[in-house]
Formats: sequence, C-alpha cells, structure tokens
Amino acid sequence: MKTAVNQKLIETGERERLRELLRTRLIECGWKDQMKAYCKDIVKEKGVENVTVDDLVAEITPKGRALVPDAVKRELLQRIRTFLAQQTKI
Amino acid sequence: MQQIPLTDEEALVLLQSISSDELESFSQDIYDEVANEVSLGLCFEVHRAVKLGFLFLDESKEDEKKFEIVDEIGRDVFGQVPMKKQFECICPNCQRNLAASRFAPHLEKCMGMGRNSSRLASKRIANTGKVDSDIDDLDDGDWNYGNDKKSSKKKRDKNCPRKIKPKARNGEGGNSSGGSGEGTNVFNNYETMSLEERKALLLQCCGVISEHTKKMCTRSRRCPQHTDEQRQIVRLSLLGQQITLPETTDDIQVDIDTYDEGQTQLLQEAMYRSWDTGSSTNASPADSGSAPGGSISSKRKEKRASSNSGRSGGSKKSKSRLPPGGSSINMGNHGALVSQPHLPSDI
Repeated sequence: MKTAVNQKLIETGERERLRELLRTRLIECGWKDQMKAYCKDIVKEKGVENVTVDDLVAEITPKGRALVPDAVKRELLQRIRTFLAQQTKI
Repeated sequence: MQQIPLTDEEALVLLQSISSDELESFSQDIYDEVANEVSLGLCFEVHRAVKLGFLFLDESKEDEKKFEIVDEIGRDVFGQVPMKKQFECICPNCQRNLAASRFAPHLEKCMGMGRNSSRLASKRIANTGKVDSDIDDLDDGDWNYGNDKKSSKKKRDKNCPRKIKPKARNGEGGNSSGGSGEGTNVFNNYETMSLEERKALLLQCCGVISEHTKKMCTRSRRCPQHTDEQRQIVRLSLLGQQITLPETTDDIQVDIDTYDEGQTQLLQEAMYRSWDTGSSTNASPADSGSAPGGSISSKRKEKRASSNSGRSGGSKKSKSRLPPGGSSINMGNHGALVSQPHLPSDI
C-alpha cells in the first residue's frame, strides 16, 4: 500500500517537487538561518575538530522538525493530500 | 524498503482502495520524510562548512570588534575624543625635544644648514682660506650674491668720502647728454671706483649720466630712455681710451662673470694688460669681487655676443688671456647676478 504511494510520488517527480518547495519555504521563513545558528552553537560546543555528521543530525533533526512553521507544514500536507487524491481518482 | 515496482494498474487499484484515514496518515508520513530529508541536507551542508573551515567566516571575532569604526558624535573613528596633539620632534643632532613648528628653525641653527647659517658658515670658511671659498661658491649662489653685494657696497661707502682721486682723464670726459664739465664732484662716485668696478657697473646697467640729477641711469643696458650712442660715450669717458661697444662689453662680461675671488688676481692682470691702463692702482682683489655682480641676464647676451664676437677685437684679446676654468664656476653665480639690485643706486 505504502509502496504504491511512494512509487507514484517518485515516478511523477512529485516527491522532488515537494522537497524543493519545502526547502524554499523554510529558507523564506528564516528557518534555515535559525538552524544554522543553532548548528554553530553545537559546533562551538563540541569543538570544530570533534563534530560529526551524526552528532549534527541527532541534534538538529528533532529541533528542526519542531521549528518548522505551521503554515509551511499545512501547505505541504495539503499539497500531498491533493496529489494522493488525484492519483486515486484516475 | 524498496520493493519490486508495481505495475500501473496494481498501483491504481491500491490507491483507489485507500481510505481517507489512511490517506491522512500517508500524507503525514510523506511530509515527515521530506522534512527529514531537508533537515539532513542542512546537516550535511553545515558539516561540510565546518570541516572546510568557512562556517564562521562571516562572524566577526572578538579581536576584530575593537577595530570597528566608531560612529559617535564628538569622537573620531577610533572612538577617541579629539584633542590638540602637541607634535614634537627630537632633534637628531642634539636630542632635544622640540615643537614641530620650531623644528626647522632649530635645525638650521643646530646643524648649520639652511640659508642663513649656510651663509654664515660659508663666510667663516671664506675668511679662513680663499680656496675654500671657491668651492663654496660653486654650490651656494645665494651666499655669493649676498657677499658680493655687501662687500661691494661697504667698499664703496668707505671709498667714496676718503679716496677721492681726481683723475684728469676721466673727469674731463663728460658726456653727450649733458653734465659735461660739471666738475669732479659729479663724477666722484665713478672716479673713486677702480676701472674694473666702473666696468662692472657699466656692464650691469645703462649708466648714462642724466642731465638733471647727475646720476647714472640704473636701468638695464637696453633701457629705452637712452640710446646706444649715449651709453657708448659714457663708457668711453669712464673707461678711458677703450671704446667699449655694447657688444664687446657683453663678450667680456661673460668672462668676468665666470670669475670668483680666488681668480680675480688673474683677471685683474688680464684686464690691466688688455686695457693698458696703469692708473687704477687702487683696485684690490676685494674690489674685483664685485665684478661678477656686474651682469644682467647674461644668457641672452651670450648668444648675441657669440654672434658679434667677430667684431670685438679688444675683448677677444682679454678673453684669450682668461683661464679656461671660469665658465664652470659661473653656473653658481647666475641666479644671484640676475636678481641683484642695481649697484649704483646709492651713487
């Protein structure tokens, strides 16, 4: 079931479009700058030499998810829903 | 996770079977995935920046903050209150601390450089030895000028009242423009001069003796008030038998110019011989020091003189007797000579 949805998303390129849309929206609303500043804090805390990608991902992902503005989130969800509805109706 | 791709029909069938609740959860999942991807992208980006060292480039560090330009009223860009700074220099010679405005005058005195002290120093050297003074003249035209002027003036002032030598030959001369037969008192000044001095004077200025004031014209040799004839007559009368055309005197003048005190003895001898006048015995070496003073913008005249030199027999003679080293010494004198005030103005 889920596989079918994913396949459809990738095949149509909708997934790619969704990601780009989210990226643009997050940059527009300042989320990226916010997160970058947070990253710098983490890097300073851990030391430039010691920091790893895993550390960053572990620290950033939850915070990033929480900081995404509701409006952006709603827009994305709405768009996904529309896409799925389109696919089911065909 | 990746499974065998479904055919379009299978997928369509599956999608059509999705209920609204499932659709909602799917949407949320898809959103989470996309959001995680974006977040991961950011992590990679930051990590790369950290490892390459350009993450903190845009941040100004603490030590840079103190060099920031201060923008406050009443302060300069360094954040300092503007105040009068007393600039002080330390004299390299005597290590004294001096205000900058007083530094140049101090140096002049302290190191013996500058215009005045140079003159003083040159004078001192000149007093000790003649040879030294020659060297000085080369590079210090200023001093030369001042010294010549002073010495010649002093000398004349001294000479005038005391050493009146009535010379029959010169006294009787008179001139065409009047003043002939005025007696010796008119010519006192001219007479008391040595022949050389007179010559220098006449080389320098027009020299025509006025009818009314009985004074010599102190303008240049080309002064429009008097004619060449008048000048020639004056020269004839003052210099004796020697007929000195303006052109010929020019020629000589160039040579005289090149002389300095060290060589005046030679010059004198040469002159005595060339003019064949034994009368001017009171001419001392110092007297002839004024000779270089008797010139006007000789550069122009040199040209003229060279073109006319064919005519001037007498002057050529004198020229040939002059030592050849003279012309190089001349260089230092030019500026001073040109700017020198007319000597006979006090006559």
